[in-house]
Formats: sequence, structure tokens, C-alpha cells
Amino acid sequence: MALAEIATDVKAVTKEKKGVGPWRSALRRFLRNKSALAGLILIAFFVGAAVFAPYIAPYDPLIPDLKNRLAPPSAAHLLGTDYMGRDILSRIIYGARISLRVGLITVSIALVVGTLMGMLAGYYGRIWDTIIMRFTDIMLAFPSTLLAIAIMAILGPKLINAMIAIGVVQIPQFARIVRSSVLSVKEFEYVDAARALGLKNGPIIFKHLLPNSLAPIIVQATLSVATAIIETAGLSFLGLGAQPPTPEWGAMLADSRAYLRIAPWTVAFPGLAILIATMGMNLIGDGLRDALDPRMKE
Amino acid sequence: MRRTSLVLTLVALLVISLAGTTMAAKKGGTLIFGRGGDSVGLDPANVTDGESFKVTRQIYDTLVQFKRENTEVIPGLAHSWDVSEDGKVWTFYLREGIKFHDGTPFNAEAVKFNFERWMYEDHPYHIGGDFAYWGYMFGGYPGIVDHVEAVDEYTFRVYLKEPLGPFLNNLAMPCFGIASPTAIKKYGEDFFKNPVGTSAFIFEEWVRDDKIVLRANHDYWGEGPYLDKLIFRSIPDNSARFIELQAGTIDIADGLNPDDVEFIKRDPNLKLYLRPSMNVGYLAMNQMKEPFDNVLVRRAINHAINKEAIVEAFYAGLAQPAKNPLPPSVWGYNDNIEPYEYNPAKAKELLKEAGYPNGFTADLWAMPVPRPYMPDGRKIAEAIQADLAVIGIKTNIVSFDWGTYLQKTEAGEHDMALLGWTGDNGDPDNFLYVLLDKDNAKVGSAGNIAFYKSDELHELLIKAQQSSDKEERTKLYMKAQEIIHQDAPWVPIAHSTPPIGAKAYIKDYIPHPTSAEKLNQVWLDK
Repeated sequence: MALAEIATDVKAVTKEKKGVGPWRSALRRFLRNKSALAGLILIAFFVGAAVFAPYIAPYDPLIPDLKNRLAPPSAAHLLGTDYMGRDILSRIIYGARISLRVGLITVSIALVVGTLMGMLAGYYGRIWDTIIMRFTDIMLAFPSTLLAIAIMAILGPKLINAMIAIGVVQIPQFARIVRSSVLSVKEFEYVDAARALGLKNGPIIFKHLLPNSLAPIIVQATLSVATAIIETAGLSFLGLGAQPPTPEWGAMLADSRAYLRIAPWTVAFPGLAILIATMGMNLIGDGLRDALDPRMKE
Repeated sequence: MRRTSLVLTLVALLVISLAGTTMAAKKGGTLIFGRGGDSVGLDPANVTDGESFKVTRQIYDTLVQFKRENTEVIPGLAHSWDVSEDGKVWTFYLREGIKFHDGTPFNAEAVKFNFERWMYEDHPYHIGGDFAYWGYMFGGYPGIVDHVEAVDEYTFRVYLKEPLGPFLNNLAMPCFGIASPTAIKKYGEDFFKNPVGTSAFIFEEWVRDDKIVLRANHDYWGEGPYLDKLIFRSIPDNSARFIELQAGTIDIADGLNPDDVEFIKRDPNLKLYLRPSMNVGYLAMNQMKEPFDNVLVRRAINHAINKEAIVEAFYAGLAQPAKNPLPPSVWGYNDNIEPYEYNPAKAKELLKEAGYPNGFTADLWAMPVPRPYMPDGRKIAEAIQADLAVIGIKTNIVSFDWGTYLQKTEAGEHDMALLGWTGDNGDPDNFLYVLLDKDNAKVGSAGNIAFYKSDELHELLIKAQQSSDKEERTKLYMKAQEIIHQDAPWVPIAHSTPPIGAKAYIKDYIPHPTSAEKLNQVWLDK
């Protein structure tokens, strides 16, 4: 009991000493990075669309109007209509909800499982390390889309299953990143100190190792959201992800490709939405990486 | 009116074909036929899909065959035939000197072997499939056929238990192609991928989901073949297939997006063919499952679907909305049937009356490949999904690869399934008995995938089968369509005129209403 109190005191002291903390200086660096800001704006735009979809979408994304099918962009339909006469703009806006959810859920799966595996491997080492790392090697040996398709074959074609599949596929990346940063962090004196003070493995991992390994995890998570959006679109394109009439961007792309020549807008706009969303996430990810890199400190 | 326009088309086609033959046909060259799906198998007795018959038509001959442009029966492997007074004994006089591609002589014994393989379930070579078509056409195994006999080397006789109106037309169907007994015995279960027949093309190679390669049979007994090689390529994506046609990597493409037809008309290097309409695309509601066993629900669904809009949007107008299972081009069509009008309010009322005021959830199956009767099943399913959502029926669209899709629908695993039928022989029996009689609602090999079992209908259809008086048969089929309309096992969707695109140098190509034309007379003018 007493030892634990001392430990928290030690932590409190280190915190006070920080002054301009590394997080704040990272934030400053991030905001000064123009491309990262651009990414942030793009993503803010999509998040806004997702959150306020019912208020800003001009039409119901699911109700067809066959008389008006394949209408080119006009004042009534800013981005035109698809093969069912549905408003493409409204579908893209609602699609943002799906893509956002896809990004969050898949990355949560990969993040939680991957981080736990990486911690285990990095902190306990030995047999844990061997088992977990060989396992991730095996997973990394497969092309990610192929692995996702294989998982989908077992789970069946559904959007939620696509999210699980892609989440699982991304686990190894998190596991490796966490493991390598844990390996370096656990050699620091404060970890020895904490152990000397009698802290158990659990608190050491979650109070010391995890917070200090957070930077690379955040970067990877941001980049993974982008990958997840693209991969889900890919699975939906193959007919394995979102099922009709769900306005998922990849599915929209796949279902419209027959009309590429006579109604190019039905393909172009969902494609652009995927491009812009993933580009935005990647710009943020790159910006975060630069900002969180300790070597970039002023 | 429709009948006369059909006759006119046929006459026009005939004139065109005659005009075509005045040009001397050139020999040589390879023709690549692009289509939407691979063949399921090349043993014609064991398949039911058009993509298989498209190929087996080139390899096998039938005892009698259809004219190039319609379903009139002309001599095939039999140069003539006669039938007994009571209509029960058919005698076929076979052509002499024909050999199968493997050198086996063609004779009455070979024909007898084929028939017995099809009709007896305990025949040692009744293997490799369920011989569904024999059952569809002859009502079981052996069904209406009592026995067959090889009278002498070139005379073959079929003894029927009852007279069968469409008997001769049935035998011209590609599924009754005569195969080499030697090859059947040699390959057993694997015969479906080692086909051997007597026709104009010899099987060479099959790369699954890619292509089937055939080469010319220079000893063919009929006209031609003019082509050296004939390749069937499977290109599932409609636009990709059309782009390949434009690029010249294939010579003929069927299953076009109706929206692409405009491009063909504008392109001087391409020629548009319209296959004469003899098909129906439909939505079958599986009566083995709730709530589709309730006729009110089935009628509600009939009222809920806007066929006109579907035809306009997904067939580019190259079809007419259906109200009967029988297409208007087949005799016996009942034009007096009043179709279920599109009326969601009425549909809702019927659902309420049936005890489903809030609707229900069901699976809606859609075929994964373009079919002549339905150019894009998944999109039509989407339109139906939206129509049904209006009356509270929530549907999940389900799809499998083509072979699995057929298997699973034949086994009745679906709630509602889109499917269709292209007539094989121009006889109403080939639609009504095959697709809606209780005899063909057998789980596992069903032609009647609505699993609709009506004794009243069955009686009519059997009576019509056993008559050879066309007037009487017409009356019976008219009545049958009324019963079907009342019971509403399907939502009949459309009768299409499937568009086919071909390079302008393709000569003497005549699309057959049955969807499986022989290509022995086709040649390349280049």
C-alpha cells in the first residue's frame, strides 16, 4: 500500500516537471504542417457529413426513382443519379457514415487485439514472443486482401463481417509496432524503478509502457483507418461487403461500373469520395508521424 | 397482331439468310464467342442451363433438329420417321455412315444405349448427374416411354405408354444429343468434361471459368463447318465483354447490357442481332416456405412489383412485361389474362388480410450472371427489393456462383428466387409442364422452383401432353394459364428479345429462339 503511494507520487512529480509536454509540442508541430491540416479539414468534412447526414442529404439514399435513372449532374441532383435513379450525393453522404463506422470498428479490433499481443510479446518475451511473432509473420505472409477474402469466405458476405475480416488482417501491424516500442521502453530506468517499488506487471504495462508507446500506435491507427476504408470498399466491390441497397462507396462503384461509358458520374463520384477520405486520413497520419517523432523536437 | 409481326420477322430472317447464302462461304478462321457464364457441364443429358447447351449443340446431334430460324422440326441424325396410328410407336430411320468423333460407328444400338441411359435409373451409366431434363420432358424415369428398340442397324423405335403431343419437338432439344457409347463407358462420371458426339465440332479443351475450345469436324455429315476453331469464352462482366467485342478480342458477345445496344447501332464494325423472343424471366416464391404458401401473400407481391418500370430501366425496352409464364410467341398463349396491376396499396391490403400487416423479412435470390431473359438479375433484384420495402417486406439479396445457384434453387433452399427459362422446343408443354407442374417440384432436381403443386393444373397439363390435336391442346393450355394466374406461384416479369453483338464480318449467323444455335454454317468474311 505504502509502496504504491510512493509510486504514484513519483509519477506526479515527473508530470509536473514536464512544463511544455511532448504532447503539446507535437500538437503545435502538427498544426504548423499544412498538408496535415488539409487532411484534417477533409476528414472534418466527412465526419460532418456522416453525423448530419439526415439533415444535409437532399434525398433518401435508398428510394429508387427508375424514371430518373442515370440522370447527369444537375441542379436537382448535384452529382446525378445512379442506375436506380437514386441521388448520388445523398448516397455518398450516407456512405460517409458507413465508411467512418468501418474505419472505427476495424481499427478498434486491430488496435485492441494487436496492442495486447504486442505488449505480451514485447514485455514477457521468450516463448510468448516467439509464438506471437511467428503468428503475425504467417499473417503478414498473405496479401491482406486475399486474407480478408478468405476470412469472408468463412463468415459470409455481410458488411459487419467485412469489418471483422479487415480488422483481423490489420492485427499484425499493431502487434509488431507495439512490440518494438515496448522492447525499447521497458529498458528505461523508470520501468526498473517501478518494478523495484514492487509494482505488478499489470500496472507496469498499462500505466508505464502503454502511455509511452502511444505515439506510434496513434500514427498506425490513423493510417489504418484509411486502409480499412479502401479495403472495405474493395471487398464490397467484389460483392463480399455491403449488400444492396446499402450506400457503401465500394459497392456503389461496383454496381455502377456497367454504366461507366454511358453515365461516368455514377462511378466517378463514389470513387472520388473514397480517394478524398483515404487521402485525408493519410495526410493526418503522416502529419502525426512527423509531429510525434521525438527527433523533430524544437 | 403480335403473331403476324412474328411471322413477318421470321420471313424477313429467312430472306436475309437466303440472301446470305448467295455469297460463297469462306472456309477457315477462329470464332470466339463471348458469353456471361461458363458451361456447367458438357454432358447434355445432365445439364439444364443455356450456357451448357450453347456448347453441346456444337458437339452433339439430335435425332431430329430445329430449323435454323424457328422450332419447326427437320431431320437430324434420323433422315425420316413415322408414327403409328395410335401415336404410341415412333420409328426413326437413321442416317448411315456417320461416326462419332472417337470413331465409334453411329447406329441404332448407339441410340438405344443413349435412351436407356437417360430413362432407366438402374442403368449402369445413369450417372454423372440427375438427368433432370428427361424427367421434365417425359414425366419421370422411364416416365411416359415404355421401352426402346433397335430394330435393325439403322432403324430405331420408341414405344410410348401414352401418346405425347410434343414428343418430336422434345427430341430435337439439345439435351437429347446422342453421345458416343464408347466415351460414356470410358469416362463414366467424368463424361461431362470429355464430351464426344457426331456434330460439326470436336471438343478439344476446357479451362474452367475461362474457355472451351472446339475444332472443326471435317467428317461432319451436314453442311460445314466453315470455321477451323470455335472458342467459347466466359466473361462474366457485361461491360467487359462488350469492350472486348469492340476491341476485337471476341467476335460475338451475348448477354449485353441493354444500355450498350446504342453503341452497337452506331458502330459500323458491329452488327446487332436480336434473338427472337421465346423466354420468360420470373420471380418464383417457394411454397415449401412460410409465408409463401399463402396465396394472398403471393398475390400481394404480384401487385407490389412495378414490372413496367423494371422492363423500361433494365431491358432498355427490349422486352415486354409478362403476365403469363408462356411467352406470346409460343402458341397457346392466353392473352385474355388480366395481369395483376401495379398497386402497392392493394398489395398492402392483401398482406394484411393474409395476417402480415407489418410485412416480414425474406431472402431474395438473384442470379449472378446475365441471362437472356434477365440481363442483370442483381439490379432487378434491387428494384424488387425497393418495391417490396414499400409494402413492408424486407428482403436480403442473396447470390451464389451460377452452378451453385441452380443447384440450390432446384433443392428449394430459397425463399424467393429470380430465374427464367428459354423455350427449348416451342411447345407450351416445355414451359408449363416443366416449370409449374407438380411432377417437376421434386426437391433436388426441380424445374418448378416455386414448388407449386396443383392437382387441377396437373390434370390439364397431362391431358394436353397426351393429345396430338393442337386445337384441343390450345384450349387446355389456355385454361392452365388461368389456374396459374389465380394461384400466382410466380411474379412473371418479362419476355425479352435478347440483344447480341457481332463483328460485321461474321456471316450466316442466325440466333435461334431456343438460345442454342448450331454454328456449323457460320463463316468469317475477312
